[in-house]
Amino acid sequence: MQSRHVPPPQSDAGEDVSGRIEAARAPMPPEPAAPLPVNPVLVWIIRVGAYLPNLALFGVMIALWEFTSNVWLPRIDPQMAVLMPAPTTIAVTAAAMIMSGELFYHLVASLKREATAFVFASAAIPIGMAMGWWRPVYNQMNPIVELLRPIPPLAWIPLSILWFGLGDEQNQFIIFLGMFFPILINTIMGVRNIEPNLVRAARSLGASERRVLTRIVLKGALPEIVTGIRIALGFGWMALVAAELVGANSGLGFLINDARSMLRTDIITVGMLTIGIVGLAIDAGIRALTRRTLPWSLAMAK
Amino acid sequence: MGQVAVSAVSKIYGEPGAIGSVVALDNVSFEIPDNRFCAILGHSGCGKTTLLNIAAGFEQATKGVVTVDGTPIREPGWQHTMIFQDYALFPWMSVAQNIAFGLEMKNIPRPERARVTRHHVELVGLQGFEHKLPHHLSGGMRQRVAIARALAVGPRVLLMDEPFAALDAQNRSLMQDELVLIWQREPKTVLLVTHSIDEAIKLADYIVVMTRRPGRVKSFIEVDLPRPRDEDSAAYAKLKRRLRMLIHDEIGDDDQ
Repeated sequence: MQSRHVPPPQSDAGEDVSGRIEAARAPMPPEPAAPLPVNPVLVWIIRVGAYLPNLALFGVMIALWEFTSNVWLPRIDPQMAVLMPAPTTIAVTAAAMIMSGELFYHLVASLKREATAFVFASAAIPIGMAMGWWRPVYNQMNPIVELLRPIPPLAWIPLSILWFGLGDEQNQFIIFLGMFFPILINTIMGVRNIEPNLVRAARSLGASERRVLTRIVLKGALPEIVTGIRIALGFGWMALVAAELVGANSGLGFLINDARSMLRTDIITVGMLTIGIVGLAIDAGIRALTRRTLPWSLAMAK
Repeated sequence: MGQVAVSAVSKIYGEPGAIGSVVALDNVSFEIPDNRFCAILGHSGCGKTTLLNIAAGFEQATKGVVTVDGTPIREPGWQHTMIFQDYALFPWMSVAQNIAFGLEMKNIPRPERARVTRHHVELVGLQGFEHKLPHHLSGGMRQRVAIARALAVGPRVLLMDEPFAALDAQNRSLMQDELVLIWQREPKTVLLVTHSIDEAIKLADYIVVMTRRPGRVKSFIEVDLPRPRDEDSAAYAKLKRRLRMLIHDEIGDDDQ
């Protein structure tokens, strides 16, 4: 990128283009040289090492936080210090909660609800396919969908408590509502956006409508369906915590709300961090799965 | 098997006679004998792709009918399969899976499917690429897969919609030669749409020259030059000049 590598009248962009034209003209690209064998552990260490400077501000914040909680606040008002546990206190609490299995217990309870709700919400995939594929189905379903979609899942909490009582079903219902519409909308879009020639090609090769749907439309819409699932799991995770705050006796949402009544700010913070980290992990997991199983969709997106 | 007859085909978009309706094809008729190669030549907008879509069963003619061996075409099917300009390969299927797709749709048992697939991989020279996904292949190779996939189902007639238009000039010429070789090894009735005079002369036994809007048959020419066609021969040049005259007449017809 440095200008001294480039002759003065020629811009960077100019050089790029000429390179591309040359590459296009070459009849066969030369075989890339075999990569040198690299120690994967070494690569990992180098990557982490390269990322470390980005954590400078983070480190400063932690240090400030520690100072505020352990030195500054106790000096002004010892009672206020309780409201803001120090990072070291949180770490100790987290370790204790992991060792005792308490954190794991609540995490599993939450994940179970998320998973159950997802099983029900995946009904949005066949419904979305029918809406995306058959115009009359769309015309009939769309008014209902458009009416229900803007109602936030949390607005369903009072009614759902009356319907299901407090407990798993009510929680799962709220999470289900958070998940259903992102999957539905993305499935409809995925079906609509399929390259029309793929469907024509399949028909022209003798595929029946059923097989066009199962072999071409479902597969072609899959990248967008997976995007919908990713959004849905994120939405569901948020709805889950809110639902558990109100009506559960286990789960991460219950954990932090329960700790509030005992003024255990350290437990609250551990719970919040767990919610954040698990949410991040779910998202990263689905992304990795997409890269692994749908490599063609990334190539198409280019 | 694969005699194609286009009989008095008209296609009108919109209500016939109404304002804004477009006559894409007007009373188009011609016949292609079995296993012969026919190119439909015309400017863009002359309805040649519409004609091909009708032959593929994607669109219905307003009037008239296209028949293959006497059977009218009403819907898409493997007996009159289409090859697209953008290849339309299934991006999540490997080369072999793409080629086997039509055979699977015909419920051909697995061992037979594998045998036919292997034969067609070899026919288009893609050995060693069976397990690659389409996005790993060059444009020319993708079009080979599309040709193999279409031939594998054993169609009576092969429809090609500007199949090489997306390739650069060198690859296009290469693929044209390749197509003639494949076609000579496995004769088929082919209906190919093109706007390139050279492509038509290089490939076809018959050239249907279309007029512009509404699309009519302007001229039906039999090409009896020996294959491979020599671009430098006098006969080639003469035919090219004749086709150019026919096509050039059409420019400006829009301004009337």
